[in-house]
Amino acid sequence: MITTNNLTKKYGDFTALNQLSLTVNPGEIYCLLGANGAGKSTTINLLLGFLKPTSGVALINGKDVATNTISTKKDIAYIPENLMLYPTLTAVENLDYFSGIGGQKLPKETLESLLSQAGLQSDAFYKRTGAFSKGMRQKVGIAIALAKEAKALLLDEPTSGLDPKASNEFGRLLQGLKQNNVAILMATHDLFRAKEIATNIGIMKNGKLLEQFVSDEISLPVLEETYLKTMNYKELAV
Amino acid sequence: MIKKTIHKELKELFRDGRIKMASIIVLLLMVTAIWISTNQYNRSNEQYEKAKVAEREVWDNQGEKNPHSAAHYGTYVFKSKQPLSLLDQGVDKYTGTSIFLAAHTRSEAEYSEVADQSELARFGQLSPDFILLYIIPLLIILIGYNSFTKENEMGTMSLLKSQGAVPWKIMIGKWVAIFLPIALMTIVLFVIAGILLSTLDGYTPFKWSSLFVLLLVYLFYYVIFINITLFVSKNVRKSGVSLVLLLGVWIISCLAAPKAASNFAESEYPYPTRQEFENTIAIAKKEGLDGHDPWSDAAKRLEKEVLEEYNVDSLHKLPFNFNGYRMQKGEEHEAAVYKTHYEKLKNQFEKQVDTYITTSVISPFLPTRLLSMGIAGTDYYSHWDFADAAENYRIAAQKFLNDDLAYNTKYGQRNYVADADFWKKLPTFNYQPPGLATIIKQNTFSILVLLAWGLITSALLFNFRTKN
Repeated sequence: MITTNNLTKKYGDFTALNQLSLTVNPGEIYCLLGANGAGKSTTINLLLGFLKPTSGVALINGKDVATNTISTKKDIAYIPENLMLYPTLTAVENLDYFSGIGGQKLPKETLESLLSQAGLQSDAFYKRTGAFSKGMRQKVGIAIALAKEAKALLLDEPTSGLDPKASNEFGRLLQGLKQNNVAILMATHDLFRAKEIATNIGIMKNGKLLEQFVSDEISLPVLEETYLKTMNYKELAV
Repeated sequence: MIKKTIHKELKELFRDGRIKMASIIVLLLMVTAIWISTNQYNRSNEQYEKAKVAEREVWDNQGEKNPHSAAHYGTYVFKSKQPLSLLDQGVDKYTGTSIFLAAHTRSEAEYSEVADQSELARFGQLSPDFILLYIIPLLIILIGYNSFTKENEMGTMSLLKSQGAVPWKIMIGKWVAIFLPIALMTIVLFVIAGILLSTLDGYTPFKWSSLFVLLLVYLFYYVIFINITLFVSKNVRKSGVSLVLLLGVWIISCLAAPKAASNFAESEYPYPTRQEFENTIAIAKKEGLDGHDPWSDAAKRLEKEVLEEYNVDSLHKLPFNFNGYRMQKGEEHEAAVYKTHYEKLKNQFEKQVDTYITTSVISPFLPTRLLSMGIAGTDYYSHWDFADAAENYRIAAQKFLNDDLAYNTKYGQRNYVADADFWKKLPTFNYQPPGLATIIKQNTFSILVLLAWGLITSALLFNFRTKN
């Protein structure tokens, strides 16, 4: 569903992403771990078509994103690190607009149901989102993804800044989407959450994918140690 | 996608307190301006009616008098308010409303509105054209300066793009969402003006077609400002930068460019001073026949020509009074002198206008201003047209009086007086301003410049369509 083949992005002499190859199948959650500047967000931006690759290909549902920028968007939902909504519109209105942009015409009841599925309290449905917390906005983002019935979900550090409860709720929502056969690629710093929800985990550094694991085959302490070693934080490794 | 975006943008606009407040202020200003303008229109029409009736009474009741004395006694003609001056007063306040018509002399229009006002008039006044030309473009900027920058600043743009938003559709949505409230406000103002004009007493018939064309001109002007606003908002990163840039555009377009353009036009094609102009005319008049002077060479030449033409040897044998005939020929010479020199003045004015319009490349305000005044019948062309009509009436009136002298008296007859009812036979002055078709033809270049502004700014705004 989500595939990259030798995907490379250079800015002059600087290589932001170096020959990344990975695949996320339907019903899988792939977590990309790495420090800032590792190339995680670049990967997501290339998969969204926001950036053009220097070489290699990014495929969504078998279609090259670079040459099918608009049509591949039909299959993707995206939740950025700090998902922002229109503050003067209510949650329902935001969902209605963004799903409308994605080509969906949904009745009010469906919009409410989607927000409910995404975990938003019903008393917040008709409140302006200007006063929403980040967790509440992320839930609207999930509702947008649900409305789109996206086959692929790209998340760029969605849990950063969320309190543990909100982060936990968010993880559960992703598990739900996984069970609906959505292919999920998530860039994150959160090793604990990655281990909890991912089917596959990759560790990136300086634009390269250095390590890949099947989540069930690695324990959290080993993952943490491997991560720290990979990042050259040897003094912190056990 | 377009409909959704329009709907969303309008919701955001109406929920934004600043926009709501600004729109209410503009609407209040509009209503106030219309109210002030209506009062002025009514007052001017009342004054016009009173002056016209009183002046005609004075003329009709001169009593028994020599026609040439009546010619010197003279009369006034008055310019009535054009209906659309309710929306655009143009140069009406400065051009004068009354022209004194008498023998031998073409007079300028007198008694301009500003001459009757205090120094406070220097600060201008609230009028619908001020709102239409200056304030609404400012409102467009206020509504639209952050249309795109806010999406980038808030971070909603990336979510929009990930949803497969098509940039040109989003652009059209945002464009329409700005245009709709602006168009609505403008249409409300024009409909109010139209209803008022249909019910008010006026002396020039009000035509809805002219009002409609004027509305189209203003809507097109706003289209250009919306294009510029969205173009800037699309191409800069920060809302603050966008606002400053757009205010700069507004200052240059609406404030600086018109003044610079008129300064430039005047320096390129200066008008003669009044003294120079009058001296030139006086010299030219002296070079021809003076109807009052039977002893001049020109008068003697005319006498000889007329005697030869009628094959008689004495002025007494002519079938008309030669004194009246000479007076008319003198009048015709003077009228020709005025025509020549006023034509030169008019040519100079036209060159100024052409130069003014040429500078329209730096501001869509200039062609809009000219078109608005033209359609409202309050521009200099309209004033020229009125002044020319008054002069033609003066020439015809002089002929009417001179012919009475020539054909109802005998050569050498002194102390002739026309009877008291004679003056009533002079037809009244009925000025018909140019029709809409003539005005449009006169302002073709302004229309073309405005269209070019619309096309170029639209092309700039939507040029990314092909890229995506």
